[in-house]
Amino acid sequence: MTESRPETGLVGTVIDTLTLDIECGKIAEFARATHALDPVHRDRAAAGDRGLDAIAATATHVVAAGHQRDPAAVLEVLGLDLTRVVVGSTSWEYSRPVVAGMSLTARRVVLADEMRTGGRSGAMRLITLETTFTEADGDVVVRQREVLIERGTT
Amino acid sequence: MRAPRTTAVGEHPEPRTIGPITQTDIVRFAGAGGDFNPLHHDPARAAAAGFDRPIAMGQFTAGLLAAWLTDTFGVEYLRSLEVRFTAPLFIGDVVELSGHVLEIATPEGAPALATIELAATRSGEPVVKGRATVVITTA
Repeated sequence: MTESRPETGLVGTVIDTLTLDIECGKIAEFARATHALDPVHRDRAAAGDRGLDAIAATATHVVAAGHQRDPAAVLEVLGLDLTRVVVGSTSWEYSRPVVAGMSLTARRVVLADEMRTGGRSGAMRLITLETTFTEADGDVVVRQREVLIERGTT
Repeated sequence: MRAPRTTAVGEHPEPRTIGPITQTDIVRFAGAGGDFNPLHHDPARAAAAGFDRPIAMGQFTAGLLAAWLTDTFGVEYLRSLEVRFTAPLFIGDVVELSGHVLEIATPEGAPALATIELAATRSGEPVVKGRATVVITTA
C-alpha cells in the first residue's frame, strides 16, 4: 500500500515572480538548441502565413525563465536536499501560442507538497510547482507544472 | 492560416533521430534555457554524482521531443504537453523522437483534438515519455 500524507505548510507559497519578455533572438536560440525546424520560429512571413502576429516561440520556451532564477534559493525555501532531488515530470497547458513581443509575468507557486511512503522506492517527498505565465491583461497564456521528487534518506 | 494535420488513430508520423549528443549540444541548450547545473557540463561534478560523464538536462530531451511534435502538428495547434523523465541521456547517446495518435475526441462545436503518445528513446529504452493534445483534422 502506498500512503500519501499532505505537507500543507508550504502550499500556496509564492516562490518567485519575474518578467519573461519573449523575443526573436531567444526564440531562435531555443529553436536551434532543440532542433525545431519549422520556419514559424524564425521567419515573420512564415508565422504570418500561419495566422500568427509574430514569430512563434517553441513549445517549451518558457523554461528560459530559468535564466532569472536561483536554483539554490528555491531548494532552501522548499527545504530540499539537492543531492536527493530529481524532476519527475513537467507539463504545459496553452491557451494560445507564445509569440515574440509578449511580456509575460511568471508567478511560481507551491501547488502541492506530500510525502509518499510504502511504495517501491521507499519514502519520497513530491512537490508540485505551478508557474502561470500571464499577459498584462490578466490572460494566462501558459500554465506550467513541475513535480520535484526528493528521495528518502534510507 | 494552415489547416491542422489530417490524421487518424494509430498514425505514427515519421520519427526523428538526433545525435550522438555532444557536450556542445548540452551547452547550447544551457545557453538557451538557463540551466547551468554543473552536472551537465563539468565531468568532475558529474562523476561526484555517480555518472561517468555529463548528462543532458531533462528539459533538453523534452525540448527535442516537443520540437518533433510541433514540427509535425504545428505549434499553433498545441493545447497541452506533459513529459515524464525516466532515465538520464548521456553525451554520446543517440536519441529517437517519436509518437503516435492514441485517441481522437470530436466534441460538438469545438475542433477535433488528438491525444499523442510520445517517447524519446535510446536504443529502444525510453528516457522521456510524454503525452500531448493537439488540434487536428479528422481523416
